[in-house]
Amino acid sequence: MAIVTKSRSQIPVSFWPLLVLTLIGVGLAIYRLVVGLGPTTNLNDHYPWGLWITIDLFLIPVAGAAFTISLISYFLGRADYHSIIRPAVLAGFIGYSIVGILLFMDIGRWHQFYNIFVPPWINLHSFLEEISLCVTLYTGILILEIAPVFLEKWGYKTPIRWIERGIFVIAGAGIVLSMLHQSSLGSLFLLMPHKLHPLWWTPALPLLFYLQAVYTGLGATAVVIRIIWRALKLPINRELFRRIGQAMSINLMLYAAIKVGDWMGAGEVPLLLKPDIFGMIAWLQFLIGIVLPLGILLSKLVGHTAGPFWAGVFALIGTFIDRLVISWVGLAEPSPVSYFPSWIEIMITVGMIAGGFLLYGAVVRYFKIFPEPEHAH
Amino acid sequence: MTINRRDFLKVAGLAVGCALAVPDQVNASPSSKDLNEQFAMLYDATICVGCNACTMACRQWNGTEPETDARQLYDAPTELSADTFTLIQLYQGGNGESFVKRQCMHCVEPACVSGCPVHALEKTADGPVIYDPDRCIGCRYCQYVCPFHVPRFEWDVARFPVIAKCHFCYESRIQKGIGGPACADRCPTGALIWGKRGDLLAEARKRISENPGRYVDHIYGEDDAGGTSVLYLSAVPFENLGLEDLGTRSIPEISEGTAELVLPGILIGGPILLGMIRLTAKRGGWEETWPL
Ligand code: SF4
Ligand code: SF4
Repeated sequence: MAIVTKSRSQIPVSFWPLLVLTLIGVGLAIYRLVVGLGPTTNLNDHYPWGLWITIDLFLIPVAGAAFTISLISYFLGRADYHSIIRPAVLAGFIGYSIVGILLFMDIGRWHQFYNIFVPPWINLHSFLEEISLCVTLYTGILILEIAPVFLEKWGYKTPIRWIERGIFVIAGAGIVLSMLHQSSLGSLFLLMPHKLHPLWWTPALPLLFYLQAVYTGLGATAVVIRIIWRALKLPINRELFRRIGQAMSINLMLYAAIKVGDWMGAGEVPLLLKPDIFGMIAWLQFLIGIVLPLGILLSKLVGHTAGPFWAGVFALIGTFIDRLVISWVGLAEPSPVSYFPSWIEIMITVGMIAGGFLLYGAVVRYFKIFPEPEHAH
Repeated sequence: MTINRRDFLKVAGLAVGCALAVPDQVNASPSSKDLNEQFAMLYDATICVGCNACTMACRQWNGTEPETDARQLYDAPTELSADTFTLIQLYQGGNGESFVKRQCMHCVEPACVSGCPVHALEKTADGPVIYDPDRCIGCRYCQYVCPFHVPRFEWDVARFPVIAKCHFCYESRIQKGIGGPACADRCPTGALIWGKRGDLLAEARKRISENPGRYVDHIYGEDDAGGTSVLYLSAVPFENLGLEDLGTRSIPEISEGTAELVLPGILIGGPILLGMIRLTAKRGGWEETWPL
């Protein structure tokens, strides 16, 4: 990864492929905006949403790491989390930027996207509207939270002081906005009781999405930190990892309880035992995404950095399966038409994500995001 | 424990600020008119002969392009599309034979209207659900939430595609005093009629009771999916006609109930909770205070 290289004079090898992918993505994105959705995507009237929405639904809880970490470190008073606020907030900001760009790609009438901000037209009963507003505001909050990184480098002292003074209000607003849109992402599907597969549709969707965002964000943090800290040869704080693991397991248990409770309460257990693709996916998702990470975290492994790391990996896979089913597979209509993303859809997605890595690498290279390695001891 | 007054004020300010942003909008369905007074259509599948006069009338009034077969010989759409707001389909199977007309159902509590972020879809006080492209951002959420798979999108239009569906000829005919929906006015057999919803329900009930054995004993749309403004009578089971059993609950009920609960709940409760956590956490030194 680009960020590994500490020497500023030499450009890391990963720079060029990432740059090429990003440029291809940008080119195709412009092409898509000019010629429309028909020629560039495989979306159709039976699958009006595709890859881009699935990726958004997955990236939002992952980028939600920024919200979980700031909740814990600013409000639950954990000083040891402070060292990871900056990496998490930067990742959050880049993640949300990718989400924003992909959403812009997706809307057909992008020339008037700003209609979502026109007060008399705002529909507060629409969770889509609420998500749009929250994500926009939250991206602004993330900019404020990450701004000191740049301001300190360029020597602007006063604005940093303002931000530091207001940090609890800023971080607090970010947390509230995150709670809103993370849960609302699930509420989006409340309007589809007859379309979404019953094993996934439940009135508890907002709660499930919220809990999932918390543990997925924590899992993503554990995964990323272990990789980067190792690459930078920073000492890993084991205690911090254990705590991340514990916070994760609490949320995983709540999630599992609600999910199982809903299946039993709605009498959907027979659907789980039916030997069809949905029953299988439900099992797979539950075992990989919940049971496995919980098993790891409740064992002694939680005390090693490998524990939360692997729990995070499995939680991420589970969440991806869940969001994939909810936004795509589980919405299948009784129709002969099917959907698989076109190469342009795929390359735009890949390009934007590559661009995200590029940006992250560049910022890490020139600004102080990670704690300095301790040379003395 | 010393409470820092400045922090307290900050937290309190945040709470108040968020509380002020709470939605105070009540517009689930702005339809002020009594349901029985709203416009509706009644389609009696046992009378329909499948002549397609209605679909031609729809094309003429809306200027949509025919969807011909490979030899360009026949206007033969098989599904609703961006160019086909209504069509006649034919069921042939174990339960007999029947035509069925398809178009937007103009739900009493439409999911599309509830979901549309920008009020591009609107339930008029008269009943029809209409669309305003100047507001629409093309997100296609309406396509997903409609329980009848109605809204279609102009996929092949580059700048800029719109959502296409039946609009009950509300602005083009009814409001201009020209008549009712073009399709209903053109139907030569009386299979499709339009009028006040209350009158049409009474007529449908009369037909069922006066012709024992002719109809399935149910008016589809009377309370299906919370009620629709297009009502159906049929001799074959409605599922055969693609009119699924959606229950009698309105689709937006759960979603809007959640919106009214969760949004203010988090906006007010969130800051208060955060403030409480902040104030009770031990200050200075960031000691261990919470079991996370
Ligand atoms: S049938 Fe679909 S498009 Fe028509 S009003 Fe109902 S929800 Fe909206
Ligand atoms: S596509 Fe247009 S009409 Fe449909 S929900 Fe989105 S903004 Fe509303």
